[in-house]
Amino acid sequence: MKSKAAASVFEKKRERRRQLSQLPFEKKVEIVVELQKAAAGIRKDSRRKVWPI
Amino acid sequence: MEKALQVIEEMTRLGIIKAYAIGGGIAATYYIEPILTYDLDIFFTPVKEGLDELAPIYEFARGRGYVEQAEALLIEGFPVQFIPAYNDLVREAVADAATLRYRDVEAKVVKAEYLAAIALQAGRAKDRERVARLLESEAVDRAVLAGILERHGLTDKLRKMEGGADEK
Repeated sequence: MKSKAAASVFEKKRERRRQLSQLPFEKKVEIVVELQKAAAGIRKDSRRKVWPI
Repeated sequence: MEKALQVIEEMTRLGIIKAYAIGGGIAATYYIEPILTYDLDIFFTPVKEGLDELAPIYEFARGRGYVEQAEALLIEGFPVQFIPAYNDLVREAVADAATLRYRDVEAKVVKAEYLAAIALQAGRAKDRERVARLLESEAVDRAVLAGILERHGLTDKLRKMEGGADEK
């Protein structure tokens, strides 16, 4: 990669993904539900329901 | 979700399905960062190979009062999509599944290496993204993955993907 700034941004993104990947599975499922809620606020789709966890 | 997982485990105990493993977005979420998904994908090996491998599942589900929602079954309010193991790779992934724990329930999940191989085989844009994330993670043992890819003729596909990958 030629740009050091871009390399730094990508490295931080990788680190963030690594941290998220190490969360407990139950916490990850809670985050999936939060993502579903956020998506439901943007696009209405009766087939895509927020999970009742 | 734990109630749905309990029902799926019960289906195995009752012989409705021979074996199963969680795949798709939830399996990926188990190994990498959480991703937006709406169905719990279940790969399963049927008790009998045949034309309608889903029939025993739907019969069981109707008996329990579970309804269909698009391609999924709503099990305890949770959309579960049952997918018969459709080739040797998926059959092997189900047979060699790992065990995950969610709250007080244990369930079978496709191992990270198989998840990467299945995504590589599927080859859609979102699958390639999943392969990249899995490879970047610490969940995939590259030697194990190499063996799976070799057995299923996917080695070149990974080589091409990695050769053309952009950093993000």
